Amino acid sequence: MNLHLTRRHLFGRAATGLGIAALAELLQGKERTSTGGLPGLPHFAPKARRVIYLFQSGGPSQMELFDYKPRLKDFQGADLPESVRQGQRLTGMSATQSSFPIVPSVFQFARHGKSGAWVSELLPHTAKIADQLTIVKSVHTEAINHDPAVTFLQTGSQIAGRPSIGSWLAYGLGAETQDLPAFVVMISPGKGGGGQPLYDRLWGSGFLPTRYQGVKFRSVGDPVLYLSNPRGFDTEDRRAYLNALGELNQMKLEQSGDPEISTRISQYEMAFRMQSSVPELTDLSKEPQATFDLYGEDARAPGTFAANCLLARRLAERGVRFIQLYHRDWDHHGKLPAELPKRCKDTDQASAALIQDLKQRGMLDDTLVIWGGEFGRTVYCQGRLTKDDYGRDHHPRCFTMWLAGGGMKPGVTMGETDDFCYNVVRDPVHVFDMQATILHCLGIDHARLTYKYMGRYFRLTDVHGNLVKDILG
Amino acid sequence: MHNWKRAGLLALSAVLGNTAHAARVEFNRDVRPIFSDRCFSCHGPDSVNRKAQLRLDQEAAAKAKLADGKTPIVPGDAEKSEVYRRISSNSKALRMPPAYAGHDPLTPKEVDTIRRWLNEGAVWQKHWAFLEPVRPAPPQVKHNAWVRNAVDAFIVSRLENEGLEPAPEADKATLLRRVTLDLTGLPPTPSEADAFLKDTTHGAYERVVDRLLASTHYAERMTIRWLEAARYADTNGYQSDGERSMWRWRDWVISAFDRNMPFDRFTIGQIAGDLLPNATLDDRIATAFHRNHRTSAEGGIVEEEFRTEYVADRVETTSTVWLGITLGCARCHDHKYDPLPQRDFYSMFAFFNNVPERGLVYNFGNEEPFIKAPTPENTTRLAELDAEAAAAQEHWDALQGRLRKEQRKWEKSARARQVDWTVPGASDLRLPEQSLRLDGVHGVESKDPLKFDYKDPFTFAAWIKPDSPNGVILSKSEDYFEGEGHQWFLMDGKLRLHITRRFTDISLRMETAQPLKLHEWQHVAITYDGYRKGVGVHMYVNGEPWGTKILFDELTYPLGPKEPWRVGAGAGDKYRFKGEIKGVRVYKTALTPEQVSVLPLKETISGIAAMPAASRNAAQQHKLRFCFLDKYAPREIRGGLHGLEETRTARRKYYEAIPTVMIMVEGKPRETHLLRRGAYDQPGEKVTARTPAVLPPFKPEWPNNRLGLAKWLVDRSNPLTARVTVNRFWAMLFGTGLVKTVTDFGSQGEWPVHQDLLDWLAVEFMDSGWNVKGILKTIVMSNTYRQESRVTPELLRKDPENRLLARGPRFRLPAEMIRDQALAASGLLVDRAGGPSVKPYQPPGLWQELTGGHGYVEDSGAGLYRRSLYTYWKRTIAPPAMITFDSPTRETCIVRETRTNTPLQALNLMNDETYLEAARKLAERAMREGGAAEEQRVRFLFRTVLARAPQDREDQVLTKTLEQFRARYARHPEAAEKFLNQGKSPRDPSFNPVELAAYTGISSLILNLDEAVTKE
Repeated sequence: MNLHLTRRHLFGRAATGLGIAALAELLQGKERTSTGGLPGLPHFAPKARRVIYLFQSGGPSQMELFDYKPRLKDFQGADLPESVRQGQRLTGMSATQSSFPIVPSVFQFARHGKSGAWVSELLPHTAKIADQLTIVKSVHTEAINHDPAVTFLQTGSQIAGRPSIGSWLAYGLGAETQDLPAFVVMISPGKGGGGQPLYDRLWGSGFLPTRYQGVKFRSVGDPVLYLSNPRGFDTEDRRAYLNALGELNQMKLEQSGDPEISTRISQYEMAFRMQSSVPELTDLSKEPQATFDLYGEDARAPGTFAANCLLARRLAERGVRFIQLYHRDWDHHGKLPAELPKRCKDTDQASAALIQDLKQRGMLDDTLVIWGGEFGRTVYCQGRLTKDDYGRDHHPRCFTMWLAGGGMKPGVTMGETDDFCYNVVRDPVHVFDMQATILHCLGIDHARLTYKYMGRYFRLTDVHGNLVKDILG
Repeated sequence: MHNWKRAGLLALSAVLGNTAHAARVEFNRDVRPIFSDRCFSCHGPDSVNRKAQLRLDQEAAAKAKLADGKTPIVPGDAEKSEVYRRISSNSKALRMPPAYAGHDPLTPKEVDTIRRWLNEGAVWQKHWAFLEPVRPAPPQVKHNAWVRNAVDAFIVSRLENEGLEPAPEADKATLLRRVTLDLTGLPPTPSEADAFLKDTTHGAYERVVDRLLASTHYAERMTIRWLEAARYADTNGYQSDGERSMWRWRDWVISAFDRNMPFDRFTIGQIAGDLLPNATLDDRIATAFHRNHRTSAEGGIVEEEFRTEYVADRVETTSTVWLGITLGCARCHDHKYDPLPQRDFYSMFAFFNNVPERGLVYNFGNEEPFIKAPTPENTTRLAELDAEAAAAQEHWDALQGRLRKEQRKWEKSARARQVDWTVPGASDLRLPEQSLRLDGVHGVESKDPLKFDYKDPFTFAAWIKPDSPNGVILSKSEDYFEGEGHQWFLMDGKLRLHITRRFTDISLRMETAQPLKLHEWQHVAITYDGYRKGVGVHMYVNGEPWGTKILFDELTYPLGPKEPWRVGAGAGDKYRFKGEIKGVRVYKTALTPEQVSVLPLKETISGIAAMPAASRNAAQQHKLRFCFLDKYAPREIRGGLHGLEETRTARRKYYEAIPTVMIMVEGKPRETHLLRRGAYDQPGEKVTARTPAVLPPFKPEWPNNRLGLAKWLVDRSNPLTARVTVNRFWAMLFGTGLVKTVTDFGSQGEWPVHQDLLDWLAVEFMDSGWNVKGILKTIVMSNTYRQESRVTPELLRKDPENRLLARGPRFRLPAEMIRDQALAASGLLVDRAGGPSVKPYQPPGLWQELTGGHGYVEDSGAGLYRRSLYTYWKRTIAPPAMITFDSPTRETCIVRETRTNTPLQALNLMNDETYLEAARKLAERAMREGGAAEEQRVRFLFRTVLARAPQDREDQVLTKTLEQFRARYARHPEAAEKFLNQGKSPRDPSFNPVELAAYTGISSLILNLDEAVTKE
């Protein structure tokens, strides 16, 4: 092997998300800890080594799920007082409504676990693991529409173009595997089939090199694009092919001396390894029945949220750094009482199962699991209000997220909203604060993970972000 | 992280530092980068965040005594300079920069550089990039014989200083492939390679360069980089990411490069073509450049928030593409590093702020302002259709005399018979003909499944006798006032239409100015032309047009509900009709006023025919005429009318299909304000259009609008545009710019490795009349460009990034070239310039999993094999193979090229149908054209992709592998059949499948070689 590789070359021009792993191996001997991250990172001892982010796209209603507001019954149908709204900007969908009638949730709440957390009847499985959760009721954002709001949570900017959290982590920490990407994304549509669209840029790397972008694991066709050999060309054929390719590239390397060629040789070998490691990963047939009892039978159907939760656990086991799930169709402008229970049914059991599964495998301690959407929903009804039907518009001023596992204090509910579930009255947590806290759990000082682009040092939290110390374990 | 950043700086100073050590410290080269990166954010141009009133970006301020009596910079005396004392302090509390600011501390070497600079007299220099470039004389060098043009003199002079030798010229095959890929984006054909190898006469290489520059392939190659800079795409980019049509602008760019339009003219056209005197269609199409930015059609957005975003994008794109400055950093506050106050950002904003545009755009096509942009072919065809319509009109006019005569004849006979007629084509919704008596509580449902969406034209008509001023006449809508669907009703006695998707923001609502009468039978009708706008709606009472008022005009989205037709109900309980309704008619067209005037007529045809002609009113005359033409006119007259209608329809349909393009238009000037923290709803001081103060002044003879701005950009005094542009060309050819930070020529940007060369090229470019082909030719003709690209361990150590160019460039091809090369080599390439975007192969389901819907519908035939610059670009789900190979996503302006090297690329090249099909077709070519012998065929494959013959060792590996595949497929011929079944192109049946499969395997292998995806 021609080894006139400089450190500069390794981390500069030829550095590649996965390839760097192989190269580092060549230079430093086998070492199966983090590969591909930056020197000097993590900044301090991390509590979590990986993240599983269960993104609920569309904006689940906080007052139907976690933020219990019994007093709303007293205001049923009354117009939301201006003193509560305080001129808050509304979306164009409800700004011109002639009235803003308050509508309490039709669903029942109860306290659960030793912590006594309030959880709605729609989430019976989540309720059972309440003591594992850190529930934050006071998250607030700046965006009032889906695209800017999801983009804000994922990239720290409402306007697309910056790297996503997963990309920042892949860039900063690399992966703990040499056979899989550092950042994997999986998507499940709601069983209603619809919902807000998603965009590749939500796992894009922005101005970071493209090797840090999330790799989509798909439920249709190849789990990773172009993974399978063509028909009539099997693994042995591929091996023979790669042997010849490697030989020819090696000749080229000897003649031209460009170390980029040795990187390419190892990338082809990595691709070959992925051809066996990925199918092994996505093959759930060897999971015992107990697994499906836990996650639900849905987990047998590729592309469901349950199947993706199970895959998330398998990815976590194999050292993937950031595993991002998206479940669509939480955008209940209308027909909320009929539609919301369906989304909960899609997701509740598997979300809880994931926590339990990680725990029983001893992985919850160093895996941070995050659940939440891009904003909350309004206490007032959007559109038509009838006896048993209502809808809610987007609401940026408060919504609920829960976290569990590495770095979190379990069994805690943090933050409080007013009686109208409109404004935060205690312990507000801005999106930037949440992002800073997530990075902190991974041993990263959010102010110090930067990338120079267009003359400026960018970071996930821009110039903001305070740690939410009260939820840290 | 910090180490990592420093590793980069160290490597660079390893290249640059040698001279720095030998010679005096230079402020611009050595000191400003340190000040900028570590000090300016608190002690620089940003007035709001400046600490201790100290600024180090201005000489006078930095050398003046501060309030506390200390002097930051004392020329000639580092120890007395507060700056030095603080950066070298051992005390954590005193040392600058402070740890809390998130900056790296200065390295000992950096501290030393500043110390030496201070001691050497602290000579200040203005920022180089803001000074007008002056053409430097090429230096005298020892390697005189090696110098082919000025480029070489600058390069070799530096190599001599560094003790390096230039590399020998690349071999002819390598050079040909390099220059052909560089200038056309396609590989040379074997016959082009043959011709060049054989041509040993003087000027052979130059003739190749001239041939390449004259090819339209050159224009296509240049265009794709410009599309990325211009954030060109086929969709809007935000949220639902609907389709737009901007390819007419893309084709304008191709044509401009093809004709070698001078870059100043190219600039003026795109920034302000609409403002040129006597602007042509092409000038206006050119301005689409600044409508290429993303737009949002997401329901409920705050319009001004997004409109502001669009204008800001234009400012940022303009400053990146032409000025190479990061003006976007001054959007929320004064620039932290460059002398660009926040006011400058909004003064530039003012130039782009007068477009009559909206923040919330239409999701299913171009948003205003846009124009029809016929291609030359369109224009020709339209003229033909106009001529056909005119001929039909003439024919029809000639028939008028006969028509009158025949009609009079017919009228006489019609009197006797009992004849009646009405405008045909209506549905009665299967309702009873007799009057429906409605009680204000119940309506009547129809089972007729007739459907209307928001772009379907219609006419509704009915007789009504209302007993209440509020009530639905006809609806197909959810049964409440804000319900989704069509509602036609009386409200406060006025005739009213709602077409609603979502009442608050997606709806068309109109009403008549006057109320109708109660308790009287009246005939009412409404027509809608299907163009989504209130102006296309007309209401009639008793056949007479009534004045209307548009209440809400935002019909932008298809309708969903599957509600039944209802008479007397369908807008909630408060709007149940009370009274009588009969004769409900629904047409799927918008009737003309003349046709509508006929509807309420009670007189039969016979009755009207019996009237004296002079006493018939207009409606009665229409009715007779329409009836006659419809049913009774002689065949020739009906044929004449039919011909007229057909030619008009053909013309209209053709015209409607002519592409449009969104363009820039100066509307009513908007007041522009500085926006505090960049927020759309935080206006600060008012500003007017003005260019940044730090750059040369705006000449008084220029109009203070986009046209003036464009002229300023390409004025001889502008220090940036030419430098930035030639630097980009340089980066395109050498992989890295002379200024590596191609988008930042400010103080955070990289000091150019060869400022003299950059300036020489910039001045040459301007002096040549901004001749793009000319400057590219100068560069590729140089010996610098022609060097072989072999890397020695010594070079790799001394200059790992090849910034000094002691060898030729060697780097991975851009995404589109990798695919285009495979298409070209296989013979699949459909070599046709321009036209609507195409949809080549893409793995199924990519669109659905993110957005639902019907997903991506792949083309068949030519669309699969066009050059990648024509590939349909959906911004939120961009073509995966392009993204995998580092194409920018086209979301914002990107001019830098990045190159990664990943396993996903390997999988893509090995397993994508695109490349497997190309491999099969390439194999067929080798078997057909390569010769009979195996050796010849392998040689053909190699040469077709790499432009060179295989060496013996390579040949052995390939032959051995070929034999392996051959044996394998001979054992399993069914596997060969499967392997060959890739792509939609037919397989040549004359070849033995086992043999073809073996060659296909080898072809794929060659397309996957490092050399194949690399420019050497």
